[in-house]
Amino acid sequence: MSDEQNVYAGVYHILVAGMVVSSILFVIGIILALLHPQYFPLSADWVRQQYHPSLVIHGLLHGEPTSFFLVGTVLLILTPVARVLASIHAFWKDRNRKYVAVTSGVLIVMIITVILGELGVR
Amino acid sequence: MCFLVTYSISFVLLLLAAASVAGFFGALLGVGGGIFIVPAMVLLFHLPMKIAVAASIVSVIATSNAGGSSYVEQRISNLRLAMFLELFTTTGALIGAVLAIYLHDWAISLVFAVMLAYMAFASFSTRNVDDERIAKGLFSKAKPDAISRYLSLQGSYHDLAANKDVHYIVRGAKAGITVASLAGIASGLLGVGGGVLKVSAMNKYMNVPMKVSVGTSKLMIGVTAAVSSILFFMAGLIHFMVVAPVAIGTTVGATIGTMLMNHLHTAVLKWIFSALMAYLAYAMLAQALAVGFGIHLPSST
Repeated sequence: MSDEQNVYAGVYHILVAGMVVSSILFVIGIILALLHPQYFPLSADWVRQQYHPSLVIHGLLHGEPTSFFLVGTVLLILTPVARVLASIHAFWKDRNRKYVAVTSGVLIVMIITVILGELGVR
Repeated sequence: MCFLVTYSISFVLLLLAAASVAGFFGALLGVGGGIFIVPAMVLLFHLPMKIAVAASIVSVIATSNAGGSSYVEQRISNLRLAMFLELFTTTGALIGAVLAIYLHDWAISLVFAVMLAYMAFASFSTRNVDDERIAKGLFSKAKPDAISRYLSLQGSYHDLAANKDVHYIVRGAKAGITVASLAGIASGLLGVGGGVLKVSAMNKYMNVPMKVSVGTSKLMIGVTAAVSSILFFMAGLIHFMVVAPVAIGTTVGATIGTMLMNHLHTAVLKWIFSALMAYLAYAMLAQALAVGFGIHLPSST
């Protein structure tokens, strides 16, 4: 079926690319962390404190393992999201309205998840 | 949940090694590494259950990408069915993730122990009974239900073993939806891929041949895992210092395991893994009871 070939072609490369980049970032982070072993708190608050873009960019430039891990994690989580977007696009191009609706439904679930997270589910 | 971890060389290397072993075993068994790495993190590394679950589900995304469906698998998987069931696995994952955030660690461990116990027994009952049905052309004789017909879920594939094209009509969408939702909840709550449930949803209830079910399930796992990962991320439960070694280790282990899978004797493996899962179920149960109720079972460590 043509729509399936379309979806696979676009999607597969996104998944692999995202995975490769995040793996590289993780490995760099691990090496950096091993060079300077230190203590890390295991609290959710500490984790969320690392979420500032300026902190992350500073960390990437100064070899802070935390920043590499954070970016790698975000990238990894985004790959399936990108896949859903690519699928919606592919079904749209094939004018398959039923499946545009179906895949959009999945995207909506993801958006609801973000909203719940923002609302303070923790 | 506020104690310090010494991110020493030994901690990282041990975590990498444990994750590799977990990923390797998982691949041999045809399940994700999550089933083994979560107990390893909790029992060996004494990490909190929520952190273990969150780290595991992120590495499930990594292994699902790396699994990299072969061309053959891609032709066999039913993309439309995957997209359709994803609606329910993702909703389930969201529910599971919310539960994971609000339940006590020991309660999650308890559910995990139950799941392990179920899998320890269930791995004996998974026999591929498709061959007969393919030979008799039974897959094409089913009647589709309204949803399956509306969404054109039916499909066909070329079965190499039987050397014929197998056409299958999808039915039982409602039952499939229910099991898929449960699979999603399990995935979100326990940090596992949930593939076993997804495959059974399709193969047992929806008249989908086993090979298609397995391939299609693999398509769904990453997206399902991403949903709970998003919530965990925002809650600060994805401790990336833990995630990195676990993700890398599981991926490496799973890749090696997949390569070796065809060369090893399945029957023996099933016995070994069932025993291992039964042991882990007991250990997780013991830990849950000790923390939650102060009940101490005979020592398992």
